[in-house]
Amino acid sequence: MRDVPEREPTPTDPALAQGALDVGGGVAQARAIGVAAALPAPVGKQQAIVVGDTSHAWRRRLAYFFLIGYALLMFVPFAWTVITSFKTLEDSVRLTLIPQPFTTAAWDYALNELHPNVAQMFFNSFVVAIAVTLTNVVLGSFAGYAFARLRFPGRNVLFLLVLATLMIPDQLRMLPIYIITNALGLGKGPLQLASIVLVLAISATSVFLLRQYFLTIPKDLEEAARMDGAGHWTTFLRVMLPLATPAIAAVTILQFQGTWNGFFWPFVLIRDQNLWTLPLGLTEFRLVGGFGTNWPPLMATVVLATAPILVLYMFFQRYFVEGIAASGVKG
Amino acid sequence: MTAASATRPSKVAPKRVGERQEALAGYALIAVPMLLFLVLNIGSILYAAFISVWRWNVRTGPQKFLGLDNYVNALNDPIFRSAVTNTIYYTVIWVPLTMALGLFLAVIVNQKIRGKTFFRGAFYFPSIASSAAISTIWIFILNPFGLFNEVRGVLGLNPLFSLLGYDANQDWLGDYHTAMNGVIILNAWTTSGTFMIFYLASLQAIPHEVYEAAAIDGAGAWDTFWRVTFPLLRPGHFFVATVGIIGGLQLFDQAVQIGNVDGAPANSLMTLVLYLYNAAFKRLQYGYAAAIGVVLFLIIFTATLIQRRIFEGRQPTTA
Repeated sequence: MRDVPEREPTPTDPALAQGALDVGGGVAQARAIGVAAALPAPVGKQQAIVVGDTSHAWRRRLAYFFLIGYALLMFVPFAWTVITSFKTLEDSVRLTLIPQPFTTAAWDYALNELHPNVAQMFFNSFVVAIAVTLTNVVLGSFAGYAFARLRFPGRNVLFLLVLATLMIPDQLRMLPIYIITNALGLGKGPLQLASIVLVLAISATSVFLLRQYFLTIPKDLEEAARMDGAGHWTTFLRVMLPLATPAIAAVTILQFQGTWNGFFWPFVLIRDQNLWTLPLGLTEFRLVGGFGTNWPPLMATVVLATAPILVLYMFFQRYFVEGIAASGVKG
Repeated sequence: MTAASATRPSKVAPKRVGERQEALAGYALIAVPMLLFLVLNIGSILYAAFISVWRWNVRTGPQKFLGLDNYVNALNDPIFRSAVTNTIYYTVIWVPLTMALGLFLAVIVNQKIRGKTFFRGAFYFPSIASSAAISTIWIFILNPFGLFNEVRGVLGLNPLFSLLGYDANQDWLGDYHTAMNGVIILNAWTTSGTFMIFYLASLQAIPHEVYEAAAIDGAGAWDTFWRVTFPLLRPGHFFVATVGIIGGLQLFDQAVQIGNVDGAPANSLMTLVLYLYNAAFKRLQYGYAAAIGVVLFLIIFTATLIQRRIFEGRQPTTA
């Protein structure tokens, strides 16, 4: 009954390519969003494409050689980080795999001696990441549902406007946002955390992901609810929202990871030391905190800062890597 | 359309009332998100453009209308120019390097091999960590007494490095000759897995019949890759290159984490965005900083358009 806007974003749409960089400044944080928003949905189960004849044993061996080599290249720095965190400073510059002596002194230092305390930074990071995730899920599904399923004048123009915001680099927004949040009184005390949440409260990527997902849900379900006399709100809340769980999960993972890892906005907007998030603390300790080249506690802090995302990755790798792409661009 | 028609249903009214309610529901749902988008995004860029033509007082706002003076000053500022050079240097080397790595990994992972999921997960792994964590790890590894220098010593590679002019305890990220290259390599390391994921999706979009046809024509693996796969990946190349260029031009996190806000050593890590940050928050020249932001936006926008032109204009077979 209702029309899908004619102009469907395509994988080569620069607006979407921009979106890949929307969260958190550099490429580092947000490329997953690029996958989500911009890749064609995988068709069915992925099919291995055999380039030429792979039956040759040598070619297979060569492939494994590269695969294992590159995988090692990925893991070694992290493994070295963990090993170093159990070393003494003296031992940390030696090329030994087993710490001698094995000590948890660096961990004691990282857990107890930092100022602000690691627990405080964890708390700050969590508060911001959870709040940003929540606002993106709530506001994203509101807007996503409206753009996908409700008809109102100006809908397509407004949706294009939302997509166009992906073209705006965060750096251009840095100064205006700084001035605006200060003018709103968010520059002082714990409200500095709120200013980060405000900036990241809704991303076009969240709207886009959820909208695309809502478009794929069969209309019969919605119409059945409507027949039963449910209003738009009830239909949205009781029928559509529960069906959008995969897209909500994707948005949750993306936003949580992006915000937890985020460096740019905390760096710009946070001035009070006790409001530092983990990435900010990690950087500041090294640059100005006298933490300098005290490698073992620095490495222990790196492990602490990365652990929550690592746990998420182990449980939800699908969503990080390909589930996101699948829920991204259907419809 | 009026409230009265809602109370006295006729054959036309229910539809109209339904439409109106639907529109109202739509507006209600998008109200808050749209407000945020309008103020924080659209509003921000208009505001930035406005600030950029003023001498701006940090407390009182606009002070003196300067027209395009801030822009002209930027073009004549040697540090701005070196920031542009550094940023372009980074982008021009980092993007193709990471694309090549990503494509290479994608092609290998896409073969019929065991442990495919494991390898894909492993290659993507560094992408999940924060830039702060990654930078810290690499600062440690590349320090004069770090893992990298130790390992090349053990492998007996030092003579080779001394030929290139590096001694056994080269401070890779602390020496202005090598700092930017160090950042390029660490970011290639972090992002290759992401570009692999992008390329994998593109690879899987190529129909299998194409390869069968190539096989029937007797094309070997090498020919098949360069004549069939590579050209057919054009949308993928476009997407990855665009993401890369936009990201590259915005290099900031690693520059700060490694060289602090001064772009140390010796301005070698001074990027456009870092310079913008300095102008705004160290020198408090808001108008000037806003002008740099607008220039950055225009560069990124132009790069995207040029790239689009190149990739759309070329015939697939010429690649």
